[in-house]
Amino acid sequence: MKTLSLYQDRDSIIHKVDPISKLYYIGAAVLIPIILPTVSISFTCMLISILILTLGKVFKKVIPLVSFSFIILLSIIIIQGLFNKTNKTVFISLGSLTFYKEGLSYAFKICMRVINIICAFSILILTTKPSDIIEVLVRNGLSPRIGYVLSSVLQIIPQMVSTMDTIKDAQRSRGMETEGSLLMRMKAFIPLIGPVVMNSLISTRERAMALEVRGFNSKVKKSFLNEEFGYKYSIAIKITIILLLALAVIWRIIT
Amino acid sequence: MKKIVIKNLKYKYPLTEDLALKDISFQIDEGEFIGVIGQNGAGKSTLCQALVGLVPHFYKGAYGGKVLIDNIEVGESDINTLSTKVGIVFQNPFTQVTGSKLTVYEEIAFGLENFGLPQNEMRNRIDYSLELLDIYKFKDRNPFALSGGQMQRMAIASIIAMKPEIIVLDEPTSQLDPQGSEEVFKAIQNLCREKITVIMVEHKIEKIAKYSDRVMILSNGQLIDFDVPEKIFSRDDLEDYGVTAPAFTRICRGLKIKNKDTGLYPITIDEAYDLVVNQNE
Repeated sequence: MKTLSLYQDRDSIIHKVDPISKLYYIGAAVLIPIILPTVSISFTCMLISILILTLGKVFKKVIPLVSFSFIILLSIIIIQGLFNKTNKTVFISLGSLTFYKEGLSYAFKICMRVINIICAFSILILTTKPSDIIEVLVRNGLSPRIGYVLSSVLQIIPQMVSTMDTIKDAQRSRGMETEGSLLMRMKAFIPLIGPVVMNSLISTRERAMALEVRGFNSKVKKSFLNEEFGYKYSIAIKITIILLLALAVIWRIIT
Repeated sequence: MKKIVIKNLKYKYPLTEDLALKDISFQIDEGEFIGVIGQNGAGKSTLCQALVGLVPHFYKGAYGGKVLIDNIEVGESDINTLSTKVGIVFQNPFTQVTGSKLTVYEEIAFGLENFGLPQNEMRNRIDYSLELLDIYKFKDRNPFALSGGQMQRMAIASIIAMKPEIIVLDEPTSQLDPQGSEEVFKAIQNLCREKITVIMVEHKIEKIAKYSDRVMILSNGQLIDFDVPEKIFSRDDLEDYGVTAPAFTRICRGLKIKNKDTGLYPITIDEAYDLVVNQNE
């Protein structure tokens, strides 16, 4: 069954941690390197995130996510290495291109932060079911309507893609060319739009009715089928993270 | 006790000229199984939607007359209040899946969560409806991974779990194989034994003839007839309304085999057999 979720079902200690604690961690992992903007702090945060991912048995899954941002990171290194306004000290010359130490150091810091953010978010996304994240957020005050939109998108979009494939197959069986040059594919796309859009609109209206008769707009306080996601060290984790953030702020003020 | 009372119901969809329902009046008792038949465009689905309040609260348009569900007037109530009394199962099982739940068990819980039921009560109701529709073995599957028939049974289970006093089914077996259809009809008949009122739109005439207490014929938005199946399917003008009588009724009509006491044709194989045997004796 296709969903847009990246969740990896593993038996690990990280999977047992509640989503709110993971959200606290993301907050800290993103904010601390901003409060204390040194390479060593960014590097430490990144190492901690990698350690957590390894404990969660999902480190391999984060590599494609980091690779996805590789071109952006590479362009940051090239542009900053060549053109940063503080560039003074030559680091390396490749033909007519000269890379400077200051620019490369700045680019390295940015790359570190980006990788750190990707790793921190990956901890949540790879080790927590999307439905658990949304349920926890709804329990903590997120509107159930927004919760529904977030959770349904993960499953309904792949279903729409599958419907589009079915319509494409039906059109192809009646002689429409859907493969070939870019122009050919663009031409084939136009007659697909009508049925796909109409189908989606009809499905959406029918689904809205089905939700309506199942109390979607009920004024009663919503209950939950599952027990609240409990983790015995949740409070300790949250307090530690808040203390670390406070320490970072104090450190920044006094130095 | 009258569970549903409809008086002079008229309805016209927005941006259309013709009435979809024209001056319809009838009454339904508690625990009755009502079959609704008629050709496409007869107003069957619109009538179903009027019973649950989707007409006029979801679809706007011109609305007249009264629909009383357990003495609650649909036009003056809202869908949420009504959904605790009446549940509806639509034709397309795919669009009845919420899309926000990862298992069949959680999917059935969706409506119950919205009404704030306690966990134990939810689990009891879900287990009951899964067993009733024979889909307990699929409880941990993703709803989108089910076949059309399984998905439809899940949609029915989702409504049954909400314990409505009335269930409206708009062609619920259109995607099911013969065995699946039979299972659904049997499950629904069990609901009637528990005093749940069932209104079912269906094209499978043999099933409607077998299970319904009374049958309603709609044509072009009008109520043509509403009576016991034997009387409905003995009408000479059924085909004028796009309805075909059950096969056994048509055979007996061709052979001129009638129940001598009532003057009506048989509607099931058992009745037809008894009449043929009696005639030969």
